[in-house]
Amino acid sequence: MGQMDSYEKDFEEHMLQDTGAYYSRKASNWILEDSCPEYMIKAEECLKKERDRVSHYLHSSSEPKLVEKVQHELLVVYATELLEKEQSGCRALLREDKVEDLSRMYRLYHKIPKGLEPVANVFKQHITAEGTVLVQQAEDAATNQGGSSGAVQEQVLIRKIIELHDKYMEYVTNCFINHTLFHKALKEAFEIFCNKAVGGSSSSELLATFCDNILKKGGNEKLSDEAIEETLEKVVKLLAYISDKDLFAEFYRKKLARRLLFDRSANDDHERSILTKLKQQCGGQFTSKMEGMVTDLTLARENQTSFEEYLSNNQNAHPGIDLSVTVLTTGFWPSYKSSDLNLPSEMVKCVEVFKGFYETKTKHRKLTWIYSLGQCNINGKFEQKNIELIVSTYQAATLLLFNTSDRLSYSEIMTQLNLTHDDLVRLLHSLSCAKYKILLKEPNTKTISQSDHFEFNSKFTDRMRRIKIPLPPVDERKKIVEDVDKDRRYAIDAALVRIMKSRKVLGHQQLVSECVEQLSRMFKPDIKAIKKRMEDLITRDYLERDKENPNMFRYLA
Amino acid sequence: MHKLSRSNRDKLQQFVSITGASEKAALQALKASDWHLEGAFDVFYSQPQSKSLTDTRHLEELYNRYKDPYLDMILVDGITLLCNDLQVDPQDIVMLVVSWHMKAATMCEFSKQEFIGGLQSLGIDSLDKFRERISFMRAELKDEQKFREIYNFAFAWAKEKGQKSLALDTAIGMWQLLFAEKQWPLVDHWCQFLQAKHNKAISRDTWSQLLEFARTVDPALSNYDAEGAWPYLIDEFVEYLTENGIVQNR
Repeated sequence: MGQMDSYEKDFEEHMLQDTGAYYSRKASNWILEDSCPEYMIKAEECLKKERDRVSHYLHSSSEPKLVEKVQHELLVVYATELLEKEQSGCRALLREDKVEDLSRMYRLYHKIPKGLEPVANVFKQHITAEGTVLVQQAEDAATNQGGSSGAVQEQVLIRKIIELHDKYMEYVTNCFINHTLFHKALKEAFEIFCNKAVGGSSSSELLATFCDNILKKGGNEKLSDEAIEETLEKVVKLLAYISDKDLFAEFYRKKLARRLLFDRSANDDHERSILTKLKQQCGGQFTSKMEGMVTDLTLARENQTSFEEYLSNNQNAHPGIDLSVTVLTTGFWPSYKSSDLNLPSEMVKCVEVFKGFYETKTKHRKLTWIYSLGQCNINGKFEQKNIELIVSTYQAATLLLFNTSDRLSYSEIMTQLNLTHDDLVRLLHSLSCAKYKILLKEPNTKTISQSDHFEFNSKFTDRMRRIKIPLPPVDERKKIVEDVDKDRRYAIDAALVRIMKSRKVLGHQQLVSECVEQLSRMFKPDIKAIKKRMEDLITRDYLERDKENPNMFRYLA
Repeated sequence: MHKLSRSNRDKLQQFVSITGASEKAALQALKASDWHLEGAFDVFYSQPQSKSLTDTRHLEELYNRYKDPYLDMILVDGITLLCNDLQVDPQDIVMLVVSWHMKAATMCEFSKQEFIGGLQSLGIDSLDKFRERISFMRAELKDEQKFREIYNFAFAWAKEKGQKSLALDTAIGMWQLLFAEKQWPLVDHWCQFLQAKHNKAISRDTWSQLLEFARTVDPALSNYDAEGAWPYLIDEFVEYLTENGIVQNR
């Protein structure tokens, strides 16, 4: 031990001081003259040379001290000026994709305590700025063009965000050697702009629509199976940045339902594959209902086969119309209003027959018919030629009324069908004011009013023998948001009770923050909402405030 | 030993005028409570009164005077008569204090037990004594601890039987009455805010926390903690005040 005293006191100390002074002078020049990359190259050179010097001339114990000195003078003292150089600093390097220089920057600052933090910060700000620009572009397009082209822009946005993510994830793995600081910076940046709404749709909805477009028929079929798998993988990764995951799940479920029920799903394997990925990322509870839905469809097909057998064995039970029924397990599917539609007599028999069959298979189950989701093929006997019309059950019921009446008023139709005004207006519009005018409307205006009268348009014709008359779907967004809000209230209640049950007594701040944390996997609860639920729990005698300190809460068993 | 300081002599006089006690009893009570008026009242009234038969008979008579002809309770008419006899307005807040002493379950009615039990605990067995006690009961409102108890009691008393929350109109009426006593400058803004923005019943928690708010937070809201455990309605009230410029933004 004593042997180094002389070396350290009489030589090393002075050598370090002089080295420091030397580099200080150099740095003060270089920082003014050189660009950031040039400076960094010089710094790297200097460090290498000093290390060489140690190995050639000096005792190895000097290396760390020497390196630290050089680093300090070259990199720490001028860190801010270097990184923030206008044309060539960190921001500029990111803008110009100067990967090599960024890697060098990482190498140099990696060994300096807290040296990487400013770099990670700039990285985060840069990504956030780029992401925000993309969102703004989409928003502008949505407001300017409106309607469907706005919707396309929103899909383009998701693609661009995926590309952005790929690009900067590469930076994190390559330039920044997977350092946690940079993973964190990327994550935080994405969390900022990925939660912005565009054109009135939340990011949760946009992502769900994007998935729908990939998975449905006539969506992005130009992509190969592999490309689709890859895209689905990336979409699921993006979901990690979205705070309202429960909202995404609900939108996804609604769209999945439409795909499954109207046979619009392009590929069963892809449907299952994305569910597996979602399950891996978000847990089994997230996907259990959706998986149930997919399974229901498979079972429904088997069921239909048995139904057809049953019919062939019971000829007199046959309703005279080809019927296929899909039985859904209530808990898995989104809730649908069952309507009180007055079925045409032909269809009433169908329902009866199926019920009879179903009861042979299982008792103790209640069937609720959702006519709003049904589809019908009916033959229209027009003057020129017969045309097969593919319509919804509601539309079919309306058209069949004209078998017995030539002319019907709005109110007569309403009474006979027993539908709501909203449903009826949409329905009649699709049959008399849209592309295919199966019904003639008097007066011949573009909208439906309650004083209108309708007649069967026998003169209707089309070059096709078979046409589909679409019924535009109701905008479900509001209902979905309401449903999710309701579920959130229950989730907050449950979390609060769980926490208080185990802690017994807890301060307000802590309770709120633990609640937020517990729920963060699915959504970001609003503090006001949590407060409201707490008050509700107080009213319901689950909790009380401490008598001495109103900021503390107690669990009431 | 009768060299009393000026302030103590004042207290003695006050005590006598409020309770109608003799100077000797007054002195005793005040000494026992270390010359705190409030404590002295408690001492004085908690002395066991001789519950002779006369007392109970008087109380029964009093009860029968006010009781409803068909039900074994005192209802609105009876209460109005009582107030007349006491020379007190039925809307006077002192009636709330009376109800509190009686541990009345609901406003505008007293059960036999509530009435008689309450009067016994107050040491009253005649209308004269009742009248004398009115000023004492008014004084109780000045005591911070008692005011809080009376205020919190008012919630359960004023709400409809079987309801968990208090109807907004009733709540506003009660607040205006109570805060006229307590002097809270923001009470009118609070009531306006509720009528404009809330329009629903008031929960017990909001009711009790409002008193704490009025007591501890100054009208300019300088010491209001937005991260605190105030009920959300109070948080919204603060927002309302700042949005409407009633209070300066901090």
